[in-house]
Amino acid sequence: MSESPRPPHASPQPAPSPPPAFEPKILAYVCNWCTYLGADLAGTTRLEYPPNVRIVRLPCTGRIDFNLIVKAFEIGADAVLVSGCHPGDCHYSAGNYHARRRWILFRELLDALGFDLRRIHFTWISAAEARKWQQVVQEITEQTRKLGPYADLYAAANFKPLPAPAGNGQGFKTFAAEGELREHCRKLLAEGAVKVVIGYGAGGPVMVTKPEEADRLVWNNRCYPNLTTYLKRKEVNALGKPAVVVKPCDEKSLVVLENEAQIARQDIHVIGMACEGVGQPKCVHCATRTPRFADVALGQPAGPEPPASPSPNRFAALLAMSPAERMAFWAAEFDRCVKCYACRQVCPLCYCERCIVDRNRPIEIDPAPSVKGNFAWQIARAFHLAGRCIGCGECSRACPAGIDLALLNISLHVAAQKYFGFEAGMDPKAEPVIGSYALQDKEDFIR
Amino acid sequence: MSEILAQSALRALAAEWLAAGKRVAGPVRVKPDLVLYRPLRSADELLLDGFQRPANSIKEFLFPKAETLYSYRIVGSSIELVESQANLPDQILLAARPCDAAALPILDHVFNWDFLDAFYNRRRAATTVITLACAAHDESCFCTSVGLHPASERGADALLLDLGDGSFEVRCFTDKTRALFNGKTQKSPRSAKASAGPEKRFDPQQMRAFVTAHFEDPFWQEHSLACLGCGSCAFTCPTCHCFDIVDAGPTAGRARVRAWDSCQFPLFTAHASGHNPRPVQPARQRQRILHKFAIYPEKFGEILCTGCGNCARNCPVGLGVLSLLSETPHG
Amino acid sequence: MDNVYLPELMEVTAIRQHTPDVKAVSVRFLNADRARGFSFRVGQFGLFSAFGYGESTFNICSSSNWKDHIEFCFRKVGRVTEALWKIEERDVLGFRGPYGNGYPMEAWKGRDLIFLGGGIAMPPIRCAVWYALENRADYGDVHIVYGARTVADLVFADELDEWSRRERVRVIRCVDPGGETPEWKGEIGFVPHVFERAQIKVKDPVVLVIGPPIMIKNTLPILDKMGVKPASVYTSIENRMKCGIGKCGRCNVGPFYVCKEGPVVTMEQLQRLPADY
Repeated sequence: MSESPRPPHASPQPAPSPPPAFEPKILAYVCNWCTYLGADLAGTTRLEYPPNVRIVRLPCTGRIDFNLIVKAFEIGADAVLVSGCHPGDCHYSAGNYHARRRWILFRELLDALGFDLRRIHFTWISAAEARKWQQVVQEITEQTRKLGPYADLYAAANFKPLPAPAGNGQGFKTFAAEGELREHCRKLLAEGAVKVVIGYGAGGPVMVTKPEEADRLVWNNRCYPNLTTYLKRKEVNALGKPAVVVKPCDEKSLVVLENEAQIARQDIHVIGMACEGVGQPKCVHCATRTPRFADVALGQPAGPEPPASPSPNRFAALLAMSPAERMAFWAAEFDRCVKCYACRQVCPLCYCERCIVDRNRPIEIDPAPSVKGNFAWQIARAFHLAGRCIGCGECSRACPAGIDLALLNISLHVAAQKYFGFEAGMDPKAEPVIGSYALQDKEDFIR
Repeated sequence: MSEILAQSALRALAAEWLAAGKRVAGPVRVKPDLVLYRPLRSADELLLDGFQRPANSIKEFLFPKAETLYSYRIVGSSIELVESQANLPDQILLAARPCDAAALPILDHVFNWDFLDAFYNRRRAATTVITLACAAHDESCFCTSVGLHPASERGADALLLDLGDGSFEVRCFTDKTRALFNGKTQKSPRSAKASAGPEKRFDPQQMRAFVTAHFEDPFWQEHSLACLGCGSCAFTCPTCHCFDIVDAGPTAGRARVRAWDSCQFPLFTAHASGHNPRPVQPARQRQRILHKFAIYPEKFGEILCTGCGNCARNCPVGLGVLSLLSETPHG
Repeated sequence: MDNVYLPELMEVTAIRQHTPDVKAVSVRFLNADRARGFSFRVGQFGLFSAFGYGESTFNICSSSNWKDHIEFCFRKVGRVTEALWKIEERDVLGFRGPYGNGYPMEAWKGRDLIFLGGGIAMPPIRCAVWYALENRADYGDVHIVYGARTVADLVFADELDEWSRRERVRVIRCVDPGGETPEWKGEIGFVPHVFERAQIKVKDPVVLVIGPPIMIKNTLPILDKMGVKPASVYTSIENRMKCGIGKCGRCNVGPFYVCKEGPVVTMEQLQRLPADY
């Protein structure tokens, strides 16, 4: 009914043998110094290989934006090859290490989204390995020919819903530390130790600047937002030194912000509240209810509330679907996306002065809420948070269309833990997961 | 004597309309706690029980979130403009809320201000709106403050009122719905009583006087600090209609697309030179209130708000027109 | 369908570069019928498309008496203007318009005209100057004070020379202090100060002043001292636009929609509007 521009997609068919006329279109992103020269050598030494590959030459695999892989499929590629110098041989020393690190994580995200990973290939091919180039191209062409055209990119046909998350079955409850919180803030403001307290109010977040208004602050099981997001707002920064009220889940954002030099930790007074849970899906899995990085910790941690109903592991349920079912799930979810960017605005770690989706020289992400534009945006948002998202779940809660955004962040969180033993928001001194690399990063998917 | 229709008969009718190739949309429970207006794939999806105001509005069926205005092909140095020739099927918006339907005559003004917007008008002409009167309301509703009520007829082709026993009273206002319901309803001496709706929360005239006279006022700063500048309120609002025009698609063959935009985004008014008339969130919140309660009334004689409360319900941080307005000093 | 968003196709007939980042482009309608039926008022604007990149709003800076083409002038600052920078003759652009209210040239008949402008503000002044000179008998004395940061930033500098040779036209060129070259023969100073120094003698003039807000702010007290009423002082407001026809909700200054009720506005009107621009 809404005529958003969308690419045509096939209706479900029984498993096909591809028509004999099908010639797969394969896009290869190759680095200039190794694979490109290797392909060139294959040409000059008269090695024969199928003509199905179109080469896009880049200076280094480190330059390959993850978005380019998705774009290749959007413009009609049936398979994508990404190839560069062997580790240790990068013309720019470490470009391919960074690329590898990125690919490890990005593959997990693509898998969670339901992209057909059999159509995405990574290789190291040096300038001397003309024969390897020939073999790789021959194999990929044949494999893709058997797979057939990538007709169900963004297709919604195989849709299956996920089990519903645990509901917020609790009645409204004020936590015991509310009085303590008000008193503490009254003192802070009266003494001029801070100029503004960013806290929870009856209707939502409040910025309290006068000690006599400290009673506007509340602390109850409806205190959902992650208030650290206000530290990025220039209107709030203009008020002067802040105190910010955080739940133990929220305070991990501060660790990441400090890690990324976005805040001077000593210039913020952090009031950590021991939490009994606010009835959000994340609360059921909460590992710690005590603040760890706060300047002052208020309240006694109570035991976790038993969930109103057993909470399904929705991420596991997502992975249990077939890729086509996953893709259909996300296509149905993103169909409702209106590009309101509530997910971005509530996230404390989305603090870019000008978001990639607002940049127009060039336009990286289709600005309209079309199928492509929505997938591209959600992929960019999730991947820009890889290894940084601390799981506050605000993105999902904020989405007016009820899109399960947190699941995408979870896929990258799980990947960062699995492959790099990394958890965001635990250690202000830790090296960020994207932007660093290890010589022994997992290689088994790279030929 | 009123005309009544059993709920099961209404669903059967909806199934008939779908089978006849019409598009039918209505409230659908998309997730356990999320109801949205969606195109129906089957009449079973239609939600007719209970009161949960859909989190979106029906405007997307007349003013889609993305609409191709035309496309073009760049062939060498020449351009070929291509307009969409697609026929618009008839569409029926079933069980819409009165606060959604009332938005349509309000939006008619701006989409026909000197220049006639054929995209909106064509869809408007092809649309039949059948509203379902509200038997209840929640704390975000404030239709009564802006001159509406739970059984308002404004913008509706027909109104359904729940009789409480699995049937509806049907009141048809236009030939479109008289034709649709012809012979399908039974006469009955019973008739439904509309609910009174929420208490009035503010007076829009006093509101307008205050906001017009207080363009520069610390009030805006104090009450907008929590706003994060997303588009949630604007995009779920039945009357917000601001849009962007973008060139989308690969360079050689593109479409010029109209997409929803929000005055709350920082770049909404940003000049290429770098100057921004509304550089801070309080200025942008002020614009929203002014546009709805002062500017639109001045231009078109109508408030650009139907009191549906979606802004408050969807706001991630609990703001909304109502919270701002109810804190406005106005006697 | 009568699609109000559909542009006319225009062919580029000439391109002139004025400064390192300013070009003026002449375009003509590809459709001859449309060309014949087209007219506009000076001061109106159009939305010009660089296909593939987007639309941008520019004043139509040619005189409405010139029938075979229209002109617009732009500074290279963003996505669309960067694309426009690369166009060549015979390229095809899009045009939607004319939109806006234009200058009330009829109402200005019989009056002396003062034009004050800075930098890239010359194009919307230029069209009015040419119109007045082409209908010379209808208007009184013409005074033009125009300046830019440096000599290289003067736009339509050759036409300024031409105008100064016309009857009852006085042209004063200036550059900001430090912007002069050794050969510079014009004034040095900011436009408001140069204007004040010029001590122009006129009775009940119409003043069109276009430029950055600071320039306008500094000019108004001088006009006040001269006894010029705010209702006789005009400017052309700029605001970000997309649709140009009052629907997209982005260009308003309070209740004033720049695309529909402007962009031409008197100081009296402007002073009654909120500071929303």
